[in-house]
Amino acid sequence: MAAVTDSDIDMHYNDLDIYSEHSHLRRPLAWSLGLHLSFATFVVLYATFVPGFGRNSWGSGGGGDAMGATLVSSVPLPANPTGTTNVLATESKGLAKSEPTVQEKEPEAIPIPDKNTKTKIKPAPVNTATKRKAEPETPETNQIPYGEGGPVSGPYTMTAGGAKGGFGFTGSGGDFGSRFSWYVETVQRKVTENWLKYEVDPRITDAKRVYVTFDIARDGHPSNVQIEQSSGVPSLDQSAVRALQRIDTFGPLPSDYSGSKVSVEFWFDYKR
Amino acid sequence: MTNREYNLSSSARPVRHCVLIAVALLLAATASAQDWIRTGTGLGVEHVRLAAADFKPSTAALRENEQNYQLLKTFNDVLWNDLDNAGIFDLVSKSFYPLQEPGQPSEVNFPAWNSPPPNTSMLAFGNLGVSAGKVTVQGWLYDVKNQASPQVLGKQYTDNATTDATRVIAHRFADEIIFRLGGGIPGIAETKIYFVSERSGHKEIWMMDYDGANQQEVTHLGSISLSPRISPDGSRLAFSSINKGGWEIMMYSFDLNRMVSFPRFGGMNLSPSWSPDGKIAFSSSRNGYPNIFVVDQSGGNSRRLTNDQGPDVSPTWNRKTGSQIAFVSGRTGLPQIYTMEADGTNLQRLTDQGYAVSPNWSPNGQFLTLSWMRKYGPGEPGSNDIYLMDVASKQWVQLTHDAGRNDFPCWSPDGRHIVFQSHRSGSDQIWSMLADGTNVKQLTFKGGNTQPNWSWK
Repeated sequence: MAAVTDSDIDMHYNDLDIYSEHSHLRRPLAWSLGLHLSFATFVVLYATFVPGFGRNSWGSGGGGDAMGATLVSSVPLPANPTGTTNVLATESKGLAKSEPTVQEKEPEAIPIPDKNTKTKIKPAPVNTATKRKAEPETPETNQIPYGEGGPVSGPYTMTAGGAKGGFGFTGSGGDFGSRFSWYVETVQRKVTENWLKYEVDPRITDAKRVYVTFDIARDGHPSNVQIEQSSGVPSLDQSAVRALQRIDTFGPLPSDYSGSKVSVEFWFDYKR
Repeated sequence: MTNREYNLSSSARPVRHCVLIAVALLLAATASAQDWIRTGTGLGVEHVRLAAADFKPSTAALRENEQNYQLLKTFNDVLWNDLDNAGIFDLVSKSFYPLQEPGQPSEVNFPAWNSPPPNTSMLAFGNLGVSAGKVTVQGWLYDVKNQASPQVLGKQYTDNATTDATRVIAHRFADEIIFRLGGGIPGIAETKIYFVSERSGHKEIWMMDYDGANQQEVTHLGSISLSPRISPDGSRLAFSSINKGGWEIMMYSFDLNRMVSFPRFGGMNLSPSWSPDGKIAFSSSRNGYPNIFVVDQSGGNSRRLTNDQGPDVSPTWNRKTGSQIAFVSGRTGLPQIYTMEADGTNLQRLTDQGYAVSPNWSPNGQFLTLSWMRKYGPGEPGSNDIYLMDVASKQWVQLTHDAGRNDFPCWSPDGRHIVFQSHRSGSDQIWSMLADGTNVKQLTFKGGNTQPNWSWK
């Protein structure tokens, strides 16, 4: 404590009394002692009575008024001199570019074939898919609970879809489907007849829908057969294309139809 | 015989034709955008539901004249049978039809047809009239569920007022419907079947319409003639016949209506078969054992394709490509079916057991039909039955069951029917069925009739 030290010094000076005249030193020393004591007393009293001191008030709210502060949106720093060509003094990466260090590859060590370890050669995955649309999972619609099947055939244009789905006509696709729905159904029936499901890999029980596009010429001959969206099962894709290759003609386009050809998007649903 | 055939537009009146043509041209000019069809398949498809209303008499005289009325009845019966035999329709029974049947497009009551009880998709209707010895038929095919543009087909036919001509008109109209709704495969209503009949005392070649009508004798040789085979263009008929030198290939010309000469090869020459481009394959034993030979249409350029001891008989060409031949060979004992390329290479055996004969290649080149006794021997059950075999995969399907001895199956040109010889009625007769074994019909009844061969078109 400061007070203890002061008294030590005091005593020290008292020992020196014998050597010097202490008359004119006595008063300042008394003042000093008094002021020291009062300061020490103030410190002790302040620590004891002033609220907040000594309590852990960090982070706690309350107390103190709001302080006004002016926010500065941007610090008005002096702009960089743009004209500099000094490579080292600019912020940009610089005009000079260090050459990439040529890393010498160590020749790969060829593992000595071991008799005991089996080497598996993984074939690169064959990807026949051109693009794949994300298709929402459809519930199995081919299962009709008893009594909920409805009439065997509804309007002509709806039954043509067979048991599942149907054909849709987009607004931009012309009105061929609505005018000549009998032709559309002929196309559907003919492809179905020529689709041999036993060509599909027997291990496949269920597959994504495969979309095939082709054109039908005026004389009914299909051409330009392409897989628009693969099912991911090569044998299924192939069976779909083969179904169309087997067909020589769908019959001439309706005589009332003026176009030279019709484009078809045809899907195949496979389920074993 | 004069017969005329017109296409009817939506209205039969010629006055409106110009208007319609103008409209069609206008549509052609505007409809330049690409048309898209979006459709697909999952669990298979159903047959087209088709109603065929009785054609109505269009002239008052027809109702009074009994003979003319018979023409109308013939027409309606033939049309109905043709559509029923086509195998691609679900024909709506006539008892479901509305009382008012249409004879003109304006009389079609759409709701009465496209909802139950008929609930049909397609409706064939029209009228028939007789005047001045001419019969005139107007026929339409309507898609009654598509009221906006219902007409699929409109036709007008004129011919002499005879039963035969009326039958032809009905066949043609049925074929038009089948062609439109069957995916471009021509109907078979005007095709012929050639067969062997012994009703005249000798086994001669006969011919008939596909439905068994108009049976007539072709050859009058007075010996034994077998295995008639009509050429792809229908102008010539090859068959094998016995004469002084033994069995030889004979040729009959329908252009000349008489026999024409064909080379004699010596030995036993049997079972000719036409390729799509007019070559003839047959079995000949001129070199000792019966082997398969190929000659051109006139009998020249003879070439031997097989070279073994086992008898090789009954060649049949792949009717689509003409590049393969199937035949029967007994080289391993019982007769089995083999295929080879048209030059004799790449021999493959198709049947694995039993007694297999009479292969016939389908028009699309994909299937063989054959007569097969899968278990052969004393005490084994079953008899020769008609089978269908996929040539590529060798998978087979049995088409006839428990129906006597069935042999000599032959495809129809549309690939939907098979004609064959069966003993199920107690004697050998010609029968036809759909290629899935259903809709079996007896075509001949008199005498013994065997070895049918269906014309190519």
